Amino acid sequence: MRDIRWPRACLVLALVACGNDSVPRISVGPTGARRLSRNEYDNTLRDLLLDESRSGFVKLPEDVLDPFDNDFTTQQPSGILVEAAETLAFEASARLMADPAKRDQVIGCTPTGAGDTDCLRSFVATFGRRALRRPLTTDEIDQYVAFSSMSVEANDFYVGAGMVIAALLQDPEFLYRIERGTPVVGRKGLYKLNDYELGTRLAYFIWGSTPDNDLLDAAEHNALRTPEQLRAAAERLLADPRARARIDRFHAMWLGYYKLPHSPELTASMRTETQKLIERVVFEEGRPWADLFTSTETYIDAQLAQLYGMPTPAGGAGWVTYSGPGNRAGMLSTGAFLSVAGKFGDTSPTQRGKLIRERLMCQTVPPPPPNVNVDQPPQGTTMSTCKVDRYAQHRADGSCYGCHNQMDPVGFGLENFDQTGAWRATDNDDASCVISGEGQLYGLADDPVVFQGPAQLGSILIESGVLENCLVTQLYRFAMGHREQRQDAAMIDALATSFTQSRKLDELMLELVTADAFTYRQEEN
Amino acid sequence: MAIKLDRRTVLRGIGGTVLALPLLEAMTGRKTARSANPTIPKRYILCFGGQSLGADNDPIHNMYVPTTIGANYDLKVALAPLANHNNIKNEITVVSGLKIPTAYDNGGVIPAGGRADDFHINSLSPLLSGTSTSDGRIHGPTSDQLVADAIGSGTTFKSLVYRVQASWYLDQSAPYGRDVISYRMNGSTLTGIPSTVSPRAAFDSLFVGFTPVDPAEAARREFMLRQRKSVLDLVSAKTEKLLPKLGTSDRQRVQRHLDEVRDLERRISAIAPDGGGACQLLGDPGQDPAVGGNQTVNGGTGFDVNAGYSNEEARATMLVDLLHMAITCDLTRVGTLQFTMAQSHMNMYPLIGIPYDLHEIGHSSHGTMGVSQGIAWHMKHFARLVAKFRDTPEDIGTMLDNTVIVMVHEGGHGYDPSAAKTYSSHCTENMACLIAGRVGGLKPGRHVVAAGMHPANVLITAMNAVGVSTNTLGQVNGTIPALTS
Repeated sequence: MRDIRWPRACLVLALVACGNDSVPRISVGPTGARRLSRNEYDNTLRDLLLDESRSGFVKLPEDVLDPFDNDFTTQQPSGILVEAAETLAFEASARLMADPAKRDQVIGCTPTGAGDTDCLRSFVATFGRRALRRPLTTDEIDQYVAFSSMSVEANDFYVGAGMVIAALLQDPEFLYRIERGTPVVGRKGLYKLNDYELGTRLAYFIWGSTPDNDLLDAAEHNALRTPEQLRAAAERLLADPRARARIDRFHAMWLGYYKLPHSPELTASMRTETQKLIERVVFEEGRPWADLFTSTETYIDAQLAQLYGMPTPAGGAGWVTYSGPGNRAGMLSTGAFLSVAGKFGDTSPTQRGKLIRERLMCQTVPPPPPNVNVDQPPQGTTMSTCKVDRYAQHRADGSCYGCHNQMDPVGFGLENFDQTGAWRATDNDDASCVISGEGQLYGLADDPVVFQGPAQLGSILIESGVLENCLVTQLYRFAMGHREQRQDAAMIDALATSFTQSRKLDELMLELVTADAFTYRQEEN
Repeated sequence: MAIKLDRRTVLRGIGGTVLALPLLEAMTGRKTARSANPTIPKRYILCFGGQSLGADNDPIHNMYVPTTIGANYDLKVALAPLANHNNIKNEITVVSGLKIPTAYDNGGVIPAGGRADDFHINSLSPLLSGTSTSDGRIHGPTSDQLVADAIGSGTTFKSLVYRVQASWYLDQSAPYGRDVISYRMNGSTLTGIPSTVSPRAAFDSLFVGFTPVDPAEAARREFMLRQRKSVLDLVSAKTEKLLPKLGTSDRQRVQRHLDEVRDLERRISAIAPDGGGACQLLGDPGQDPAVGGNQTVNGGTGFDVNAGYSNEEARATMLVDLLHMAITCDLTRVGTLQFTMAQSHMNMYPLIGIPYDLHEIGHSSHGTMGVSQGIAWHMKHFARLVAKFRDTPEDIGTMLDNTVIVMVHEGGHGYDPSAAKTYSSHCTENMACLIAGRVGGLKPGRHVVAAGMHPANVLITAMNAVGVSTNTLGQVNGTIPALTS
């Protein structure tokens, strides 16, 4: 551990500065090496090599979205991963070498000849530190510089330099974020992360990408230790555009609109709407995060205006106050969110209810029993063909009632909005079936809470506190790359408590990265 | 293999220019006794289609099983493409009457080699590993990997596992194992083998060692190959040093990664295996067809006929070509070709004009006729695969003399105990499969009724045919003697 320069006794003292207890009271759930998701891989290549190809998305194995793409427990090494990593590494290297301007910027020196080992050595040291997110040892540098013989053979300096890149981009320490840290005396399996590891955690959490030189410099100077230092570093990262993209992606995966079942044009319009809303509330105006769910203003273009039954904004696209049928407000009223959880070519009140319970309320809905055919919509128990009556079958049966009563009545509160988010008064396939649009949410203080439409549902979830509480849990999962475990409960509770005061997402993120538990890791089993 | 030929000395690949066969025979010293030449490798190929044979509420179980028993069997809709390639059906035996038992059949207890009553995913484990399941997971090594363990160690690739269907294609859901049909024992751990989906990646991986005619291009490739080897050497040496510094779980994780790196190193370092007369560099496949978008609907109203499809027609053609050539060049002796995922949500509209995904056709009004048209798309490519082996000379016969190719399907048709439905696609009664090739005394070209037998019995027969002496696969025992007599 090259970065630990203090004698061990001092380190232990530093850790226990808070009291007489010789063992720090840190509790954090076990973690393991986290592989870069496809998105993180592509972001990382962009930042390391000025490579905008986003090639990892095409070639790396698909990530499991559950709902986030970075749960390390779902990541398995495989032959196709290793093959793809090799191909991607050489292709990225070749792209860089084919672009002299970018190449010179990344290499950082001008070789005096094919066999210039000084230039190669300086490149290995600087690029190696970026790629592996830690300084290389002299031994390691020597190994990479040995590629110079291939440069000489080819009479081309950039052959060896390209091999350096290809080797680093295949290194398990590049493909995985492997954390070690320093063991905490008296706490089996608990490790204090070193500064480089903390800088890496910060960068991948807030940017979804690799730490920049400033972060690595801070790590080198042991300046990512104290909560104040971490906070300052995180604030800097949050001010970068990469943070906006990351937060947008977090919401898209969490709320399910990461992939939309529409044309590229409509998908782009919908994604722009949610992205603008998040940027405005979180970054531009610094409002409470909950305003995402109550905002009466939205950013739409002509396509969405038509979908929502609203006038097209002046200039074709812009901020407007919601009008048109259905009393829209906030994230749950957007076409993006309402397009999630469709089934059978229509909205599925069950799926929408499940989405709200699991994603927005952090509850668990058990899967249907094995003797249920979920490939067919409910047929109903009466002669009525109206959807609300057909779905009543779900709750007529005693064994189905328990779960479906948690889901279907919630979904029916959004039923006036079809599977693209357009407002409707009647069932898609039967104009004689008038949709009441009334929903019931069971299990809150008033049982049930009756609501009408997404705007009211959003307000109820905010006012009850359940949504903001759930955000804390979901953000924790996203930040840590795994579902919370019992050891994480204390930290999540503390974050939730402080979030009830700040109510701001960036503040929550800063609290998270400065929490003690963020700076430790617990070995698995 | 007594004599190793360097492929570089034999092959003059692009465009299919191949050296004459007699030279190769001289060089390998092959004997001439048909099918009994012990120097000729035996090969095992398993193909899979993610659909049952019949549809809900349709009393017709299938349009797959011939009316005729024995030779010269008739071809119904599902198997119609077996008339292609000059009646390739003469090389293929239909095995009907198969069944995977359910808990319902066994007084509520899941029987050995059986499944829970719920159909979804649960047929895979008994079908492919002969092992019972109730949680959708495969619980034993699959036949292809058992064969690979037995006969695959000497080749560049122990096995090749390819999938045609490029993505899961359904929003709000994930494959949860329906995309993986190969499992091997890694010590005491059962490990799934994800498939290669990209024809481009498959091509690059297979033909790395082939040398082009143009000397400049040949030199460039050779230099590139040395770069790759040096880089991989460094990566594995560095990783080796990292391992002892890691905790147990991370060490295991990185070790598995390192194992795969070593395997890649071994593959690109391998001297080309024995050439055969037909072993040649295939034309470059170009970039992969774009991966299509997801569906929210399984079919009918609202179904997007442009989504859920990634030109699987072209992908199937390419992967069949690659698998055939990989085996022809003895780069591997075991192939697994998953045409479609279990419970496949691939859009069938571009292929057969029905605006449903493959699985949902079975629940639609298109009935067993629609299902059969979907199967027929698989059969078109299966027929082509078999024909390629039949049409590749080997020794005094063809490669089919030394190969077995099995095609299994996710389900059959009949009573679904979980839905109490009489005619259901969620059923593993009335199953059938195909077995092609003559290796180990297999007698193709017939319709064999194996009433009450388990599909794994067919796989056990196929395993024995390639020299893997076993009477069991998972919890299922016995071969089907009628396939070899």
